[in-house]
Amino acid sequence: MLGYILKRFAVMVVTLWIIITLTFVLMVTLPGSPLNEERTTNETVQANLEAHYNLDEPYYIQYLLYIKSIVTFDFGPSIKQPTETVNDLLGRGFPISFELGMATIIVAVISGIILGIFAALKHNGIIDYLAMTIAVLGISIPNFVLATLLIQTLAVYWNILPAATWSSPVHMIMPTIALATGPMAIIARLTRSTMLEVLTQDYIKMARAKGLKPWKIIIKHALKNALMPVVTIMGTLLAGILTGTFVIEQIFGIPGMGKYFVESINQRDYPVIMGTTVFYSAFLIVMLFLVDIAYGFLDPRIKLHTKGGD
Amino acid sequence: MKKKGFLLLMFAAFVLVLAACTTSTGDDGSSEEESSGSDSDTEATEETDSGDEKVLRMNNGEEPTSLNPPIGFDSVSWTVLNNLMEGLTRLGKDDMPQPAMAEDWDVSDDGKTYTFHLREDANWSNGDPVTAEDFVYAWKQLLDPETGSSAAFLGYFIEGGEAFNAGDGSADDVAVEAIDEKTFEVTLTAPTGFFLHVLTNPAFFPVNKEVAEENPEWYSEADSFVSNGPFKLTSWTHDQELVFARNEEYWDSDTVNLDKVHWAMVNDVNTEYQMFESDELDMTEIPSDLADQLIDGDNVVIEEQAGLYFYRFNVTEEPFQNKKIRKAFALATNQEDIVDYVTKNKEKAAKAFVSPGFTTPSGDDFREANGELVNFDPEKAKQLLEEGMEEEGYDELPPVTLTYNTDEQHKAIAETMQNMYSENLGVDVELANTEWNVFLEDQKSLNMQFSRSSFIFDYGDPINFLESFITDASMNRTGWSNEEYDELMAQAKQETDEEKRWELMSEAEKVLADEMPFFPIHYYNQVYIYKDNVKDVVRHPVGYLELKWTDIE
Repeated sequence: MLGYILKRFAVMVVTLWIIITLTFVLMVTLPGSPLNEERTTNETVQANLEAHYNLDEPYYIQYLLYIKSIVTFDFGPSIKQPTETVNDLLGRGFPISFELGMATIIVAVISGIILGIFAALKHNGIIDYLAMTIAVLGISIPNFVLATLLIQTLAVYWNILPAATWSSPVHMIMPTIALATGPMAIIARLTRSTMLEVLTQDYIKMARAKGLKPWKIIIKHALKNALMPVVTIMGTLLAGILTGTFVIEQIFGIPGMGKYFVESINQRDYPVIMGTTVFYSAFLIVMLFLVDIAYGFLDPRIKLHTKGGD
Repeated sequence: MKKKGFLLLMFAAFVLVLAACTTSTGDDGSSEEESSGSDSDTEATEETDSGDEKVLRMNNGEEPTSLNPPIGFDSVSWTVLNNLMEGLTRLGKDDMPQPAMAEDWDVSDDGKTYTFHLREDANWSNGDPVTAEDFVYAWKQLLDPETGSSAAFLGYFIEGGEAFNAGDGSADDVAVEAIDEKTFEVTLTAPTGFFLHVLTNPAFFPVNKEVAEENPEWYSEADSFVSNGPFKLTSWTHDQELVFARNEEYWDSDTVNLDKVHWAMVNDVNTEYQMFESDELDMTEIPSDLADQLIDGDNVVIEEQAGLYFYRFNVTEEPFQNKKIRKAFALATNQEDIVDYVTKNKEKAAKAFVSPGFTTPSGDDFREANGELVNFDPEKAKQLLEEGMEEEGYDELPPVTLTYNTDEQHKAIAETMQNMYSENLGVDVELANTEWNVFLEDQKSLNMQFSRSSFIFDYGDPINFLESFITDASMNRTGWSNEEYDELMAQAKQETDEEKRWELMSEAEKVLADEMPFFPIHYYNQVYIYKDNVKDVVRHPVGYLELKWTDIE
């Protein structure tokens, strides 16, 4: 196990390095510059700014500076928000995105699994159709449409929830619903289809024949196997949602870190691009790793150390 | 053991789902109870209800980039800063500079040296007096190349400013001086009739030297922030909210009516409007999709903003090296139709270059005095095009591509223009769009033939705009170079006689209309919807929002 973890760690570092290098290359080949402004710009002023942010150095020096900043976990000041460092921005945004993301994941997983189980049990019945209609709607309605709809009805029309900003737990309700609906729908469909498959297997019939209680069969024997595909998508889902989502955060005025992914690229704010990319990649790699470990616990047939070996 | 855990989890899940259903209904009930307050949202309203405090709730859109006056060169920073601090002068309700930190001033005969006498009762929010030294400190910081401020060029009016910023001179050579604690003297490179207006710009606000030397990051948190304006900063949750309170130390504190100002940071106009609708904000912009329905509403206030939405030709590329062809395109563009049917935001169609609102020494509006210079005239346009093509020996017009940066509004205008050219000139132009940063890069390096642009004034004088189009200026971006125009601008910058200076500027504008290196579409405006009880929010055509006189009734 330890050997496996070490090996994975080494692969992780190499992967990160490749990502960093690619990001850097893409970043500098992208036309434009963080100092591009529509208004009158003065050459002297531009030169001072370039010097200030080391943009006047040759690329290999800039690259080395970036590597240095990553190794020391100090991404330096943001170019567009000069009084803040990238660490400040991420340190402030991430906990908020994480909080919203966690709430979203909990709601999505729990409601998704429950919907899926009921749909599978009442296969082709009213409940199944109802659950799957909700799931299809959840997948097809984009979250920003749902978000605007929620604000319009719950905040503007009925005035029972605050429209936006992030100052109390009540403010979390609408963004959580808007964010959770999509993943919930995916999880519900996955659970339903694998559950259906599992329920027809011999060992379930055996358990029934033995006279076990129906609930016990579902939870202890069927669900555990039916959860595998859900666990598989959890890695990417977690990384994606916990690091914030641009659109939902913008609509609800949530100060998470989602906006930095998009805005930094639009503004060519190099340090922020680097910071967000490294942060997200590292997070994603760790999540995928955790998912692999979770497989082992859920299904003893999967052995980590033999993976890819035979 | 394991079984129990799982069952527990399922149970918890059920409770959660049920709870989710009931919270909303529960809230429904409670909000009915407190519906007299009309708002479920916290603090702000409760305070207005209970203590009769006057609280204004606004949206700043984004986190200010920096509240350090010499650095944050954008409206998200300066809108906020303009209400926290104050320069030597401040724009009055009439948009003219009025005495502020400076009680009065003397100007030398050559118009270059200004001596400002600071108010005896001008104090910082921590009780320190505002001194001449604070101005010296702030202005030198603005010009210091180490600061890397993009607003530094505004300080080039000051003698020695440009040299210091370029690294050729020293801080000591910048002609700003504290004669004594309350007397501040500045010498300019040229007589600058509008210098008092320039001073209202937040780049020229003072910085409390003592505080800044002790804590160089004084401007980044509410605790350490010292202000000298109508309000002080009481709390700042980064990326979420700024709260102002009335600054008792402000010399004119009696004029200030508001007790508190809350600034949200919601960067989505639709949400902003919905927050206004659900009574969480006191003013809002209009989402562009709703402009049609809302613009004629009762509480809509439309004010001018000095600036121009325009299109540039690249005069180094065919066919726009020809003046007549450029003019043909300009005159074939119906600006009225664009503002009436496309933008629908009540902007004024631009029939000339300098926006309205600049007053000449004789008291006239520069715009009215210089008249309309670019009038839609499809027939003349067609004729000019023919003449131009003949001059160049074209049988067929070389292909024209019109480029805009990717955005719905710009796209709508571009498509309308495409249509106008096909109708009025019989020319089919192609449309192209690129991402903003790529667009700017291409425009600056003259890679585009015909492209969208805009200009917003930094200070209140037409020269700010006109000067931008002299040969090789960074704003020129057309490849256009005209000796007569450059000469007029050079003269205007040296002219001591105000009458003559304005005369030179109107002549320069006529040269633009004659040469047409770019042509105007519309002037800008600022459109807001206010709650009924909000009074006297002042927005200047050039300058930043003022809450000094704002009241809630």
